[in-house]
Amino acid sequence: MNDDQQMIQDSAARLFADAAGAALNTQVEAGGFPQALWQQVEEAGFAAALAAGDQGFGLTPDQALPIFEELGRHRVPLPLAETAAGLALLACAGHAPLAGPGTLIDAGPGQTLPLTADGRHLSGEAPAVPWGRHAAWALVQLPQGDIAVVDLKDAAGLSCEPGLDLAGLPADRLRLAGVAVRTVLPAEAFGIALPLRSTAALLHAAMMVGAMEWALAEAIQYANDRVQFGRPIGRNQALQQMLAQAAGDVASARMAVRAAGLDFRLGDAQRAARVDFGVAAAKVRCGEAATRVAATAHQVLGAIGFTHEHALHFATRRLWAWRAAYGADAWWAQRLGAAAIRARAAGFWPAMTQRQFSATAAE
Amino acid sequence: MQALDIRPAELPPDCEQLRAEVRDFLAQTLGDLPPHERARNWSGYSPEFSRALGQRGWIGMTWPRRYGGGERSMLERYVVLEELLAAGAPVSAHWVADRQSGPLLMRYSPEVLAPELLPRIARGECHFCIGMSEPDSGSDLASIRTRAVRDGDGWRISGRKVWTSAAHKAHYMIALVRTAPASADRHAGMSQFLVDMRSPGLTIRPIVNQLGDHEFNEVTFDEVPVPGHHLIGAEGEGWHQVTTELTFERSGPERYMSSTQLMLEMLDAADAENPHHQLVLGRLAAQYATLRQMSLGVAGMLAAGQNPGLAAAAVKDQGALLEQALPDLAHELFGGRMPPESDLARVQRHLVLATPSFSLRGGTREILRGMLAKGMGLR
Repeated sequence: MNDDQQMIQDSAARLFADAAGAALNTQVEAGGFPQALWQQVEEAGFAAALAAGDQGFGLTPDQALPIFEELGRHRVPLPLAETAAGLALLACAGHAPLAGPGTLIDAGPGQTLPLTADGRHLSGEAPAVPWGRHAAWALVQLPQGDIAVVDLKDAAGLSCEPGLDLAGLPADRLRLAGVAVRTVLPAEAFGIALPLRSTAALLHAAMMVGAMEWALAEAIQYANDRVQFGRPIGRNQALQQMLAQAAGDVASARMAVRAAGLDFRLGDAQRAARVDFGVAAAKVRCGEAATRVAATAHQVLGAIGFTHEHALHFATRRLWAWRAAYGADAWWAQRLGAAAIRARAAGFWPAMTQRQFSATAAE
Repeated sequence: MQALDIRPAELPPDCEQLRAEVRDFLAQTLGDLPPHERARNWSGYSPEFSRALGQRGWIGMTWPRRYGGGERSMLERYVVLEELLAAGAPVSAHWVADRQSGPLLMRYSPEVLAPELLPRIARGECHFCIGMSEPDSGSDLASIRTRAVRDGDGWRISGRKVWTSAAHKAHYMIALVRTAPASADRHAGMSQFLVDMRSPGLTIRPIVNQLGDHEFNEVTFDEVPVPGHHLIGAEGEGWHQVTTELTFERSGPERYMSSTQLMLEMLDAADAENPHHQLVLGRLAAQYATLRQMSLGVAGMLAAGQNPGLAAAAVKDQGALLEQALPDLAHELFGGRMPPESDLARVQRHLVLATPSFSLRGGTREILRGMLAKGMGLR
């Protein structure tokens, strides 16, 4: 890692280390918002980390991803990924940044939010909107590829039914009855096929890597500490084999995220196929790895790891929630697989070396 | 975990020119090689192909010119290797010599054996086999019993080596033997020798594998005479040499690409609208893309003079999982529905039979995972 990346990662780690733990998560699960920490995160520039140009931190995507790895590693409950993705999309479309935490409303099951006929209001429903009740604004993926920008704070026509996702993080049902749209960002501004989903998927993949690394480290520590039959359980070859395979999974997931980060770019249609390829590979590998790492960590940590009091569930519940977010691994795999089949045998190896399938294949 | 932290490696831009040259060469020389032969991947044997590759300067690429090498970078070499593997080129005749025997001789016998043998290896004319495993010594390599005793200026080797791939076709073997009896330090007292495969006292017996192929052999040494200058490096240094060699052996793209021909056949047979096909082949594509980056990253570590030992073990473990998954996934998608003489069926049958060895050769999976566990700090 170069020095800049290491510095950014270290500063994120320091900021989040104090926040790691049950207290903040319990507060958020009960409906609170970690306002003081959010302020620090904004002041550190992390929310603008992905925004390009002078709105941003001056970071390339691969340099910004370590921030999100640390967010996952420390199990910090904040709408940082959603806000960062939103600010990046706004900046890409030449729109001024918006203040306060934001969120994303992706296309998906149960989401029906077409624009009203006048093109200036949204009516419909969105289930499980991350941080909906705390967000000042939302970016909404519209069916034709455009993205609507909506103010949520004190919005007329908006009602919010609080809920929680699998990770215990806010995921609220929003009902919109003619809520005013601030603006519509045109699809062409982003260059890539699925700007909202792709950006959020990449950030969540990075978060998953951090959470997996922490869960694995906890499992190794426990295996060395827990003594049964007169020796640490980590001496048991069955556990060693499982943990070694999990470490390989994590290394693979981490590499996929790094490679995707190097290829990620908003606003450049020439890069669309490569962005798609990288994000797909990362989300697929992270989903697969998360499934196995979560299972392994629970198996090694035994009964104690299954309790609410032990912190493991803060990581594993995030892994189970995030592997399904912004396209589950199976969704992205089908996308990649369709492109691979269309490219046929002749197109496969060139696609591997170019890190993209031909543009016509990506639909 | 620092040791498994693999950085993405960046290929220098002129590598794409080299890549195009290799692809052209392969199109010309391998144009009509059938898929079921390409399925053998780096086990395919063709001395003619090896010689032609040597003529292009693509064997011993990173070696000094005085040894017949091209003084090119590890990453350029990597590009050539991955193109050969993607095409299923028959590289086995020179593979071991290029990958580990040549570098070993260069490091430990730079003035005697390297000048004599490396130029021949680089021309694709000199083939090597590896004498490590014995009937009672597989994963536990330190338990070998083949011994070398001094005989005047030279030595005499007695014992037995097994699983020796291509011993019947090789010109030379690098043999790991005991030059001092086993002691409390299990790794002490071993040395490596260059053995001429036409030496008296050497008997080669074929071991046919479950594909019906003769690749493996058992090699018996009955007081085989070996000249003094064929001791590689210093007496007693054998274990140290072998651990370095094993890192090279585990570090290349052949550790995840062996089943590539089946991936290609499945892509040609698949239905782009079938969600099950999309899912299975998409997962495989993601794994291929990621493993390529990991393998390239290991090459980058080697190029930077770092020891990629644990990283290479992790990549080999993940790579073998991918290689071994392919025949069963082909069965899942197409089993019972492939015309028996189709390329897909023939390639799948070959790999079903071949893949059990992929998690055994070059470091058995369970041993590699034990190494990883130790490297991760597990007690």
